[in-house]
Amino acid sequence: MAIIEINQNFGEHTQLLAPFIAVIAITWVFLVYYSYKKYGTRMTIVYFLPIIIATLIIESAGVAGGRYYYSGYIIYLSVVGGAVPLIIILAWSVNLFLFMNLGKYFISKLYQKQNYVRIIFISFAAGVFGVCLDLLEDPIAHHNNWWIWGESLAGIKFFNVPILNFVGWFVLIFFMSIATLLIERSRFSENRKVLLSISSIAITGSVIFVVHALIVKLFGFIGLS
Amino acid sequence: MEKTLSQFIIDNIFLFLPLGITGIITTIILFFLPKKETSQISEDQKTDFITFIKFRVNFYVVVYLFVWIMIIIIGLLSDFLVPTIIGGIIAAIPLIILILIEYKTSKSKVS
Repeated sequence: MAIIEINQNFGEHTQLLAPFIAVIAITWVFLVYYSYKKYGTRMTIVYFLPIIIATLIIESAGVAGGRYYYSGYIIYLSVVGGAVPLIIILAWSVNLFLFMNLGKYFISKLYQKQNYVRIIFISFAAGVFGVCLDLLEDPIAHHNNWWIWGESLAGIKFFNVPILNFVGWFVLIFFMSIATLLIERSRFSENRKVLLSISSIAITGSVIFVVHALIVKLFGFIGLS
Repeated sequence: MEKTLSQFIIDNIFLFLPLGITGIITTIILFFLPKKETSQISEDQKTDFITFIKFRVNFYVVVYLFVWIMIIIIGLLSDFLVPTIIGGIIAAIPLIILILIEYKTSKSKVS
């Protein structure tokens, strides 16, 4: 199976896909440039690359598992059997960097101590901000077929989007923010931070996997999915 | 039949387990290698402020505002009114909170 696939039929079965891609691309370029100017190359890699790798695996697993699929994009990447548009992976890096920094800004006004509790607060705020924006974005995406949820998915839905999707957003942004902030604030050299940020995806991913599995079980137990 | 992420990983455990173990061992080695100390990155939100239409605002708030406006415009153009309005109101909550908290703290600094 090819790792990179090129789709010749841009926009097929979708509506307004081009403006959506343009918004993500513009935002991504702005944020990467801003991060590069403020923090330098290595820290920009720390902020953007781990989430790109993590979501490439998660999204590819989601598509391969048949929960949803993407139609009409140009460049697709596939690592574990499911084809994921490149722009979706870049959008996740925008999400993490944007919400983590909004979380930092918000918490800096409420909690001044520099400790681990602050990292938890920032990550929690980042997760909540992410879910708030996704409650706007995901129903529009589903309506315009930017991504299509499996018809037989059960459970409570918000305008045809499964509630577990929003839980997934929170869990992913929360734990990726914690990992990124811990590495950012460590006293390791920037080269070591880059390596740690990539290798630690295994630990963060394992935590996300366990927490997500427990939440799915809990939702199943109380009849929400 | 759709599978959740956890089910998919369990079904493909022989792919994910070696990857996970390699990553964890590498992280532990990197963590315990002799440290080369550098200065910690401090949070400096003051430098994140830009002047936008005569107002001094946080850069990330402007980016969030841009995404919020663009998604709402796309939602309205999609003829998907009610979910766009409801989602728009929910997605405006972080903006309102951030603007209010900035206003409140700047006011308390002045007084």
